[in-house]
Amino acid sequence: MRLALALASFVVLIVHGVVFYDQFFHRWERHQTAYFEQARSLTKNEQDKAELEARSPRIEQTIVTSFGDTRVDRCTTCHIASDDPRFAGHARPLKSHPYSAAMGDVQRNGQWERRHKFADFGCTVCHDGQGRGLETKFSHGEDEFWPEPLAGYVTQATWRKDFAPKLKGKEYMEAACAQCHTAENFAGTPNVNRGRKLFYAMNCYGCHKIDGISEGTLGPDLTEAGKKFKIDYLWESVVEPRANSAASFMPKFNLPEADVRSLVIFLKSRRGVNFAETSLDRYKAHIENVAVVIPPGTAGEKAGEQLIVDRACTACHKLRDHDGGIAPDLSYEGLIRDNTWLMDHFKNPRSRVPDSIMPTFRFPADDFERITAYLATLKTPPPAMPPAETYKALCERCHGEKGDGEGKVAWYLDPSPRDLTKAAFMNSKPRERFVASIQEGVAGTSMPSWKNALKTEQVNAVLGYVLTAFTKEPARDLKPRNLPDTNPVAMSPASVKHGEEMFLDRCTGCHGRKADGKGPNSLDINPKPRNLRNTAFVASVNDRRLFDSVLYGVQGTAMPSWIDYGLSKNDVGDIVNFIRSINQKKGSQQNAGL
Amino acid sequence: MPVASHDLHSHTPVEPHAPRRRVLAWLTSVGLFGSAVLSAVSNLVFIKPRATYGQPARFAIGKPDDFPSGTRISLDVKRVCIVRDGGKMAAISTTCTHLGCIVGISDTGFACPCHGSRFDQDGAVTGGPAPAPLPWFKLSLAPNGELEIDKNTLVKPGTYLNV
Amino acid sequence: MSTQTPEKGARSALREMPSNVWNSIFRNPLPSTDLERASTSFTNFFLHIHPVKVHKNTLRPIYTLGLGLISLFLFFILVATGILLMFYYVPSTTQAYDRMLDLRGTVAFGIFLRNMHRWSAHGMVAMVFLHMCRVFLTGAYKKPREFNWVLGVILLLVTLFLSFTGYLLPWDQLAFWAITVGSSIAGYAPLIGQQMKFVLLGDTTVGQEALLRFYVLHVAVLPAVLVLLIAIHFWRIRKDGGLSRPEQPKGETIVATMVLEPGKKRVYGFQGFIRGPFTKVGNVPDDSVYAWPNLLLAELFVFVLTVSLILLVSLAFNAPLEEPVNVMHPPNPAKAPWYFLGLQEMVSYSAFWGGIGIPGLMVALLLIVPYIDRGTKGVGRWFAKERLLANTLFLTLVVLNVIFIIIGTFFRGPNWTFVSPF
Repeated sequence: MRLALALASFVVLIVHGVVFYDQFFHRWERHQTAYFEQARSLTKNEQDKAELEARSPRIEQTIVTSFGDTRVDRCTTCHIASDDPRFAGHARPLKSHPYSAAMGDVQRNGQWERRHKFADFGCTVCHDGQGRGLETKFSHGEDEFWPEPLAGYVTQATWRKDFAPKLKGKEYMEAACAQCHTAENFAGTPNVNRGRKLFYAMNCYGCHKIDGISEGTLGPDLTEAGKKFKIDYLWESVVEPRANSAASFMPKFNLPEADVRSLVIFLKSRRGVNFAETSLDRYKAHIENVAVVIPPGTAGEKAGEQLIVDRACTACHKLRDHDGGIAPDLSYEGLIRDNTWLMDHFKNPRSRVPDSIMPTFRFPADDFERITAYLATLKTPPPAMPPAETYKALCERCHGEKGDGEGKVAWYLDPSPRDLTKAAFMNSKPRERFVASIQEGVAGTSMPSWKNALKTEQVNAVLGYVLTAFTKEPARDLKPRNLPDTNPVAMSPASVKHGEEMFLDRCTGCHGRKADGKGPNSLDINPKPRNLRNTAFVASVNDRRLFDSVLYGVQGTAMPSWIDYGLSKNDVGDIVNFIRSINQKKGSQQNAGL
Repeated sequence: MPVASHDLHSHTPVEPHAPRRRVLAWLTSVGLFGSAVLSAVSNLVFIKPRATYGQPARFAIGKPDDFPSGTRISLDVKRVCIVRDGGKMAAISTTCTHLGCIVGISDTGFACPCHGSRFDQDGAVTGGPAPAPLPWFKLSLAPNGELEIDKNTLVKPGTYLNV
Repeated sequence: MSTQTPEKGARSALREMPSNVWNSIFRNPLPSTDLERASTSFTNFFLHIHPVKVHKNTLRPIYTLGLGLISLFLFFILVATGILLMFYYVPSTTQAYDRMLDLRGTVAFGIFLRNMHRWSAHGMVAMVFLHMCRVFLTGAYKKPREFNWVLGVILLLVTLFLSFTGYLLPWDQLAFWAITVGSSIAGYAPLIGQQMKFVLLGDTTVGQEALLRFYVLHVAVLPAVLVLLIAIHFWRIRKDGGLSRPEQPKGETIVATMVLEPGKKRVYGFQGFIRGPFTKVGNVPDDSVYAWPNLLLAELFVFVLTVSLILLVSLAFNAPLEEPVNVMHPPNPAKAPWYFLGLQEMVSYSAFWGGIGIPGLMVALLLIVPYIDRGTKGVGRWFAKERLLANTLFLTLVVLNVIFIIIGTFFRGPNWTFVSPF
């Protein structure tokens, strides 16, 4: 025991010694000592030399309170030469902070004067990083838990490797300049300015709100995006919208890297702090509904065509030589949509297509009228072409090159464009129905009516092409089905109640408890279950078709034939009454109020 | 009469002054005492702050040109008065050495409003209850051309910085 | 008393001063006889909590593993490091995190003392738990030690609460959300749960009030309670007859017997020679050794070992400090401190049963076990066969708890789904 105790005592002594040693001889002391030595060799004054000789290392800090919270910046402990112009050519960390006219520094009598003095600003308000740390890992923000790494110099270990090289560069510091220099075209922040222009030009303003700039409600509020998120997250959110939120329907814009960088710098500059504005400015910006977005370049009256450019509609839509690749082609809009439809759709896209992701723009009614008037002039029908070419010109964008419903913009449409290769579906419906769909369109969806653009022969030719090229399997004779033309069950509260009970019992798994097609199974089904609150669509479907779909199912989809599960015609009649009832009231159109 | 120190339960015989025991005891004491000393010293070092949050003792006050020749400019917040005479500059404390009020500039030097202490241009006491002259702070020219005051370093009154 | 002249008295006083000073402080010499060993133990302020003699079983390392001592010494380390940390820490939501950064960055030994505090805290929770297991598995809770066991259970709860309140103080994401989860579990207690939570947090959610309350609990109230309970705990050890020990084997008792010297024909009354280990006649010999120096050396050894280990661990591993608190953004998953992860795992199945019901039941069982298990066999031995049932039940519950903690730590990921830790 005594021996063990003696040994243990010695061990503890040694460990104490190690601890003691470990806590001294910091790296910053070595940097400071090196600075004293080098400064001594640079100075000619004997008194200064003596003072430097006598100086011992200590913690240097600047405490700044003018930017909100108390900032304690200890960067000059290692970067002790930052305000010593003689060290301009030395290696870091003993390199002096550069002077430049771009930062507002001036030369007077041959000597530079700093505009942003360290005593007034500290360091972290411009550079980010962790002011209170004294080890490189912590002070530069390399520690992944620090929310503000040194802008443009440091990437954290948890950041994606493919993004890391793109996130370095002094331009990222512009995001900090914009905390005070908020003017739209401030010369010192070219990337912020460019990012702001892109924010308009790519129609981000339509979905995202930034206080004082825009008022979109479909996407998250970005007023404080720069404060909440690091640049790697912002970058990822722009280039891969679904990386962090699987349910996001933000389009993937495929922007060039320089554009993404400017956007990220612009977003990073949105920190919810603006040291240049007064509290009153801030409050006003917050409560004001920015009803009119004034993107650069627009003023006063503009023709509809110019408005389309200015309002960045082609960030998503296609028109002439601009194509956003996200929304339908507007080139024949005068033929396929009428003015009423267009105006309603402008005021609220979801009043016409309930599951549309197009934002609700709050332009003045005047602008909408002008744009509608312009679109109405797009009346030139497509030239006569073989049906394959017609398909390519008009249908491929949604229905896909292979007719499988995977067109360029298909992902963004709800309901999805029909998969024309599904023979089970295509061969279960009479040909007349398809002709009607093409000619009259499908109400409540993105499928427009093509009858003004295509002659009947053309329609039939395209349909024939589709059936042979995509559906492939030849049609078989359809067995006649016993279906009533109108609902034999009279509409009555009792019937509706019974229909509702059955609906809740059997249908909500796919169609959802709100009958909007968003049931839990809907995520795994293709095509998705029908949104039964799509009033325009439901109104366009007659009772016979409803009975057909429910009793005999929809081949080629997940809708089973309920006659096999014991549903009688009367049951189905009650269900149909229920469906009609939820689409009866004015304003029952889903999302009509938005 | 204490029992002879020999028990029958296989304890080793107790010989209080066995040399081995003494060595071990000594080693143990050294180890523990040394650790205690190191521990105490490190705790004392711990509670001595290396960075405080109040007003810094060393700060810059601007360029020499900001202080024209022949002026005596008092920076009340910093409790210092900058005097400049031609090319010579000095920084004199404006904290009265009596009980700590801020002295004001008078035609003959400084005067304290609290208890009437009077000082001359160089801070020497000319009247009143002040026990000591106003100290002079070290004034230096930083490499970037700014004047720097170090309130932790006092210089002899009459020591000027030449700019 | 010498009758010297005053001058001589003064000079001799000066000469004798060192030894006079020494003897006024230390009244007894360094023990070299048994009597001196005995008197040192009960005349010294710091030592008199020890008995004069302890049973040799108490000193067997394998018996107690020193767990109780380790817990105590960890507590001392915690108090010392805690008080030192109090020189720099401010319990304010705006300043706490910055102070932690300063402790890590600028304060000399700051990072090290914080590490020591953190790892000692985790260590103490683990050690008191193991100590409880040891006491149970050696049957040391039985009569007359039932109340001491109850005190021990309460000490365990106070230790957990101390660790819980301290966990919040860094005010980083880890702290904030762990305490949010933990206090929400507490809110599930029936009838009083929500009130309790409100009083504990000083508000409906974790914020400045909670930070202040937790700070007060952590640095003042709970340590005082702990010290009091520890004192009583030790007092009871003495009064209950020292640490538990196995029953004496029969037939090996060595009794002091009176012996007649050969040649002596007369026995003078009660006088006679006593041969045996002790002067006590007729008492059962008790296999004990003097506390000085045996027990004290053992304690010192455990202390030095504990300190060394904590120092080494603090050198090697830094206590975590995550992002500053962001009330809008819980980490996914948000996990309670490890000793509550078993609870959190159970809570993911049922809030009441997992958080209040089952833990409450377990604590109640622990408290009541010495009053239910009245058998006297098997005390003082590890895994005594006579106590198979009790030991098995106890170990089962312990292992289950540990398994839940392991699941909660390694096998649960975002949204509390199962993930593989590999």
